[in-house]
Amino acid sequence: MTMVMLVAIPVFFVLVFASVLGEFAKALGGTLAGGATSAISAGWAAAFLCGALAFFQVSSSRGADRRLAAAGLGAVRVAIARISAAVALGITVSAVAFVTLWLRSGIAHPAHAAAAILAFGLIYIGIGTLIGSFVSGALEGSLLVVLVFSIDVFSGPAMTSSGGVLSFGPTRDAAKMLIAAGSGQASNAGEWFAVAATVFVALAVSLAAFWRSAKSSA
Amino acid sequence: MPARARVATVMGFREQMRRPLLLILIVIIPAYVITRSIATTLATPRQIAIPGGLQITTTMKELHGAVMAGTAIAFVAGLCGVFVMQSALAGDRRLVLAGFRAGEAVSARLAVLAADAALVVAVSLAVTALYFQPASWLPFAGATIMIGLIYGLLGALFGAVLDKLSATYLMLFVVMTDLGIVQDPMFGTGTPAQWAVALPGYGPVRVMVEGAFSSKFDAGGELLLSLAWVAALAIGVYVLLRRAVGVHSEVSPRHPQTRIGRA
Repeated sequence: MTMVMLVAIPVFFVLVFASVLGEFAKALGGTLAGGATSAISAGWAAAFLCGALAFFQVSSSRGADRRLAAAGLGAVRVAIARISAAVALGITVSAVAFVTLWLRSGIAHPAHAAAAILAFGLIYIGIGTLIGSFVSGALEGSLLVVLVFSIDVFSGPAMTSSGGVLSFGPTRDAAKMLIAAGSGQASNAGEWFAVAATVFVALAVSLAAFWRSAKSSA
Repeated sequence: MPARARVATVMGFREQMRRPLLLILIVIIPAYVITRSIATTLATPRQIAIPGGLQITTTMKELHGAVMAGTAIAFVAGLCGVFVMQSALAGDRRLVLAGFRAGEAVSARLAVLAADAALVVAVSLAVTALYFQPASWLPFAGATIMIGLIYGLLGALFGAVLDKLSATYLMLFVVMTDLGIVQDPMFGTGTPAQWAVALPGYGPVRVMVEGAFSSKFDAGGELLLSLAWVAALAIGVYVLLRRAVGVHSEVSPRHPQTRIGRA
């Protein structure tokens, strides 16, 4: 059932939400319009699904991972196996969102859009695992993912034109890249570097979180 | 209330009190979402229809102030419903084996869910009141309570039939689709489509919009529809949970004084 959700929700999200996101962004003073609205909906779908997935992956496998590590597999290998699975699922979700976006609206810069959507997913894998390594309660953890996602969405370039401290959400650079790709503009090397750096940090955090989770009582 | 039901309810609340992060999040999430969304919305003019057929002109900022509490409440109450049900499925069967009646264990869980929903409704109304004054508080507040109950119970239903990750995904998707788009007067023509009446958010959101912008009350049908959703979901959750935690007992043939539990 979870796999069905991972495929169905990005499709519905892009198809249903793209139609109103332009109005919503306009109401909030954002500048989202045209293809950019569909594009950002794909990124958000990938982000939320991957964040919740990564949280539950850590919180529900903690006991088994510790036993695996203690039985000789080692915390590092357990962490690598876990993060590989999370990334594989993240790629699946991102690919579904990207294909839906492409079929619905067409994309002027498909490679840029695909990279940005994947970046949304991978950044939220980092956030989800980080929350999962410190919060054991399923309700608390899922609410924290919702809170981080809400802060990120409301402070992102799609929803606000104002700056300030709150405009530095984790997916700010990925959102800029995705909006540009949806609007038919290419991103420059500096923007690619900013997205790559954020993803690198997120995956490093994720690896550390999985390692910490497997190691604790090994 | 029978002594065992009281014990089960007190234990349920104690369990909640041992989770301070949960209580903090139940307060912070609606407070942040409502404050941020109202603060960042522009006062663009907007025409909408309210129950009774009246067309009114308001602003997007006022509208966002009116409806955002409902969405925040539905999110949090829905997730509470999912995980209260998951906890019940994990632990309450043992309570029943230990001698509790299934109905007593179930009532305690539903009381905890109702308390969580009440907390998120109270916080949401308090925060909304800082930025937005409804024309009539009674229907407005009543609508938020119905949204909390409907989505809390819907979350419990999802939690009963799906695993926790799938239930979480479905809950958030349903809330965003129903309250966030289909019923939201900020989008489209400002009036929900005819088929929107089939969704659980239709009744309470129309009552909420009525309370927000009219001092009269012309949403009797929508109120009845909301109450019907609450009653149907409450019965559904009670029956489902009772069956899930229930133990069919039978008398041991060798020891007639012993009753054997069978899940």
